[in-house]
Amino acid sequence: MDPFLYLDRDTWVHRLDPRTKMLLLLGSFVLAFLYVNPLYGLGVLAVVLLFGASARVLINLRRIWFVLLMIGVMTTILWSIFGGGTTPLFWFVEREAFLYAVGAALRIDVMIIAGMIFLSTTRNEEIATGLVKLGIPYRFAFAVSTALRLVPTIAATGSTIGQAQRSRGLDLESGNIIQRVRKNTPLLIPVFVSTIRSTNVFSMALESKGFGASTKRTYFLRLAMKRQDALVLLVFVLLLAAAVALRMAGYGGLEGFSR
Amino acid sequence: MDNETHAAGREQPAVRVRDLTYRYRGQDKPALEGVSLDVTRGEFVVVMGPSGAGKSTLCVSLNGLVPHFFRGRIDGEVRINGRSTREGKVGEFAREVGLVFQDFEAQLFSTNVALEVAFGPENFSVEREEMVRRVEGVLGRVRLEGFEDRQPATLSGGQKQRLAIASVLAIEPRILCLDEPTTDLDPIGKLGVFEIAGELKDRDDVTLIVVEHETEETLDADRIVVLKDGMVIADRPAREVLRDVELLEEARIMPLQITRFFHEMGLWQGQLPLTPEEGLKELRQRGWRISPGRHRELVEKDAEREATYGGPIIEAEGLTHRYPNGVVALEDVSLTVRRDEFLAVLGQNGSGKTTLVKHFNGLLEPTGGSVRVDGEDTVSQGVRGLGQKVGYVFQNPDHQIFSDTVFDEVAFGPRVRELNEEDVKERVSEALAAVGLEGYEQEDPFVLTKGERQRVAVASVLAVRPEVLILDEPTTGLDYAEQRSMMDLVRRLNESGSTIIVVTHTMWVVAEYAHRAVVVKDGRVTLSGTVRDVFAREEELRDASLRPPHIVSMGNALGYTVLSVEEMIRVTGDK
Repeated sequence: MDPFLYLDRDTWVHRLDPRTKMLLLLGSFVLAFLYVNPLYGLGVLAVVLLFGASARVLINLRRIWFVLLMIGVMTTILWSIFGGGTTPLFWFVEREAFLYAVGAALRIDVMIIAGMIFLSTTRNEEIATGLVKLGIPYRFAFAVSTALRLVPTIAATGSTIGQAQRSRGLDLESGNIIQRVRKNTPLLIPVFVSTIRSTNVFSMALESKGFGASTKRTYFLRLAMKRQDALVLLVFVLLLAAAVALRMAGYGGLEGFSR
Repeated sequence: MDNETHAAGREQPAVRVRDLTYRYRGQDKPALEGVSLDVTRGEFVVVMGPSGAGKSTLCVSLNGLVPHFFRGRIDGEVRINGRSTREGKVGEFAREVGLVFQDFEAQLFSTNVALEVAFGPENFSVEREEMVRRVEGVLGRVRLEGFEDRQPATLSGGQKQRLAIASVLAIEPRILCLDEPTTDLDPIGKLGVFEIAGELKDRDDVTLIVVEHETEETLDADRIVVLKDGMVIADRPAREVLRDVELLEEARIMPLQITRFFHEMGLWQGQLPLTPEEGLKELRQRGWRISPGRHRELVEKDAEREATYGGPIIEAEGLTHRYPNGVVALEDVSLTVRRDEFLAVLGQNGSGKTTLVKHFNGLLEPTGGSVRVDGEDTVSQGVRGLGQKVGYVFQNPDHQIFSDTVFDEVAFGPRVRELNEEDVKERVSEALAAVGLEGYEQEDPFVLTKGERQRVAVASVLAVRPEVLILDEPTTGLDYAEQRSMMDLVRRLNESGSTIIVVTHTMWVVAEYAHRAVVVKDGRVTLSGTVRDVFAREEELRDASLRPPHIVSMGNALGYTVLSVEEMIRVTGDK
């Protein structure tokens, strides 16, 4: 399996400077948190999806649809139960609590999707270099990009190990959630052993290529904020400002919700 | 030659190892013991030896990973161009010694080829223009021009290993150390790596230190150093070591087949030929001929054996597999495996051979065509049901071992099938006996050697008593003695009634053990037949990046395909 989320396409989003994309990502988090009302939340989701579609990377959502769904459903259920409101909807759930719950679910999913789009359009090395240009020490920036790389690698190892155990007769698919978790636990051992072995080789390879040999370092990737970056940022700041103004004017809230 | 004192101005050795003893923390025995070794600039030295001989430890001592990265106790010293590795950091020595590890997957981490190569120069603050020049230069050297924007994950095994070499070369080290660079590669991929190594030495005067376990790959070396139990037991010119059949066998290294043939035929050591070409010359000079009658006997034996096979157990018809991303891994493959057969599946890295066999136990379902096991479609049987009939031993034993004791590990399969403890016990002792691990029941699998862990993995599959046993690269990472004992085990299982399917790159294993071979290329079966028939077609094999072992090539050149040194001896007569 491909250990990276990055999709090598040539779109205007891919061509943006990684710093621009980081700012857009942060901005989209602000947007997501701005509105409580799920209708407005849907609007934010639409903007984010439109952005992803124009970068031709939404196909990656297929890899995480289950996570998105589970988080969405769980959040909706929890907030519906524990939130309070004034208009009864069904059983003991109030209308306001339910709407708030849907809004909260949307908010989390929007952030995950935005992060996904960011990782699908930005190379690991661009993230590291971008962070360095923003004043973060290289070692830290490299650690971030390595962590991003490690997660899918572990997932790939896990899938091979799952296959190995299934062919020995381990039935991973049936049973309720607790039973399935228990059956999957022994798989963690080979996953850890393999991961530790390969990260050991990885760190030896890093040292052998002179990682951290000197305090100074040059970069193969050249980053430059171009006219498009400025333009995109300008448009986005205007959008954000408008969204904030709308919220300040009292739109997008939820009357009658209480915790 | 006495190198102890060298006058100022005289060239010092690129690598000088003196009385190096190293013990990893927590180990009783030293990994290296009193190793002394000089390598002059521009020399090509091959290091050989059995598993656990200390070959990798020697490699990692060259750039200071020992003692700086590993914990342990060091005595003696390593000097690189005159400077002791104790005096500086790994990063400083990395500029002089390039180190490429065996596991190429774990050392590639960038999102494209150019960035992978640039990583080293970046660390050494090389100016960007110079970096661009280097990336272009080294990619040309390892024949990866035009791959700059490819993701390393999409490359073939041989390409990945070449990229790993390039990423180190970009630092422009004068010494290059490759630790078993070809273990996981198909024969032509192996050749590619060694061709590049040869060019680096000839053109750029790079000093080469290569750990290798296959003698066929070491013919171009200047010197061979043989390690055993952490000690140097031989350090002589390559051709001299290669002619010393007894020394190699003592060090659990497979001797060259041509050399062993003439050795067994009674030739004096000094005149032993090494390659098929030299062997042919020697045969002609001596007037030895192949007896057509005795060769016919071999062919007839193959046919007799084939007649004893039972009915079909696995039948693939028009099997096609398309991965979700659209890549077609298999296209229209039809193949029948009969009971009691010993089948080898061959092909280049990434040709689709693993994808093919994963259909046989239901891990993958066909996207077109069908696979039937024991007359029934695999899709309706499911992985769990098929597990009773088809056992699958994965390439990396660490991917399947998770229990604290060997007993529990092997008992896992019978237990999930809800056998009672009595039967489980019986199954486990039967399986452990079959793999020669009786008495290991209470051992922790993780402290065993790779060869032993591989056996535990086989035992744990055997315990379910499947009719068919699939082994994916069962000999990778094992030394010659371990490979032999592994394959002898597989042969015994075959003789006692298991149908065997082996996926492998190791050609002599196929020649000596398998009955039938299929060659997969780009998702299609391009060759299929008895091993003798398949190995007779060298041209078509080369087309699929494969190359028969030396003894087979020599036989082919004479017009008679033999599969082992023993067969060659049998068919050779004086007249």
